[in-house]
Amino acid sequence: MDGDRPIIQVRDLRKSFGSVEVLRGITIDVSPGSVLSIIGASGSGKSTFLRCLNYLERPTSGEILVDGEAIGPSTAPNGQRTSGASPRDIARIRSKLGMVFQQFNLWPHMTVLGNVIEALIQVKRMPRSEAVDLGRRFLVKVNLLDKKDEYPAKLSGGQQQRVAIARALAMQPKVMLFDEATSSLDPELTGEVLEVMRDLAREGMTMLVVTHEMGFARDASDRVIFLHDGKVEEDGTAAQVFGAPSSERCQRFISSALS
Amino acid sequence: MFAALHNAFDPALFWEYRVALLTGLLQNIIIFVESAVLAILLAFVVGIASLSRHGAVRWTAIAYAEFFRNTPEYVLLVWVYFVLPLIIGTALGTKVKLSPHVAAVIGLGVAYSGFLSETVRAGLRSVSYGQTESALSLGMSGFTALRRIVLPQAVRRMLPEAVNQLVSLFKSTTIVSLIAVQDIMYQVSMISVAEMRPVPLYTGAALLYCVVVILATQLFQRLTERWRRRGWA
Repeated sequence: MDGDRPIIQVRDLRKSFGSVEVLRGITIDVSPGSVLSIIGASGSGKSTFLRCLNYLERPTSGEILVDGEAIGPSTAPNGQRTSGASPRDIARIRSKLGMVFQQFNLWPHMTVLGNVIEALIQVKRMPRSEAVDLGRRFLVKVNLLDKKDEYPAKLSGGQQQRVAIARALAMQPKVMLFDEATSSLDPELTGEVLEVMRDLAREGMTMLVVTHEMGFARDASDRVIFLHDGKVEEDGTAAQVFGAPSSERCQRFISSALS
Repeated sequence: MFAALHNAFDPALFWEYRVALLTGLLQNIIIFVESAVLAILLAFVVGIASLSRHGAVRWTAIAYAEFFRNTPEYVLLVWVYFVLPLIIGTALGTKVKLSPHVAAVIGLGVAYSGFLSETVRAGLRSVSYGQTESALSLGMSGFTALRRIVLPQAVRRMLPEAVNQLVSLFKSTTIVSLIAVQDIMYQVSMISVAEMRPVPLYTGAALLYCVVVILATQLFQRLTERWRRRGWA
């Protein structure tokens, strides 16, 4: 049975910023090897949802299980804490989730290779030579080995984002989270990043992708959810959600996004 | 007119007392280095604490910085030299005496740690939170993220301002003669009394100071040129 267990389980996830409730009870299971795209208008809570999964945002209540393990102190609907993960546990679970950010967030004081191997050395305690070998392998994967000694500032946005993907992949995570990975790129640079993401999907990486790229959501994902106002409003295969959405709002969103 | 100029700056007189003056200057440099190390260490502790999540830690650090930033270093110096030993002595029930040198280092060190902690704080805040988030998302602890990702960037951005503070600190070391540390100003006043010609020696001391500061900052600029070229400082 273990093989069929969802890699991520989310139960009634809620998040408020002050008096504003951004996530209003999200329940979802993600099966291993699947690609889930999360679409919705800005302010619908897509990014907050993704950031709760690796605890960069602290959920107000609800439960998140990564690979069967609760991340962070979970809270039952009555406000009672049900379990508590220590900072060390949170860090360990985070390392199973690779995250790619809209703003890349490469470290400008380290070379490309330095960025990729830093967490291998600091978190996985890997000897430097081993980390360098692994780092080079992942730079080959994103086709940037020739830039390994450059500093991030010398690279284009698309190249920076590919380095960020290699950095996350080098930790050999079980799931990759993409938080609007192409939104801050010039249109002519989104293609190279989407190509790397499509390759990963084909290789069977489990991916949660918050995106405005409707083409990617439609062609590359197994499942698409449409968030509205902090709730899942539409949930189905790409064909269902793009072909025949049951919610009128989702229909309008998709037709305006595709036009 | 030449006589007046000669009266203002007399290289011969200056040369005659070179050993005393340079010994004095060396005192200033030693006190500068020791108080700079103390100030920088305290500034990092206080600067990091002032951004703590814990209110009590944060407010203590902010109060510390405000107190020492807004108290004249002269008052601090005198206070550390005369009052602090009394307090410690009363607490321990014995007589305590600080040497002028130790008092000077503590007084200047804490005075400048206040200014420098603000520089540290500003430097840390200038590094975007996304830098920390990407480190955390890879499984780094908050401390590792601070040490490996945030601090190296923050330090490079702090440098120009920190250098200004350190130049100020070096210039402030001239007030230590007030608690009888035998620094350059102390030597100058002693010699002036003996020679009955204060003007040329004070002019010489001013020039000497100026030259040392210019040389030191130029050297520093050269050393950090590589960082500036990459746009880090």
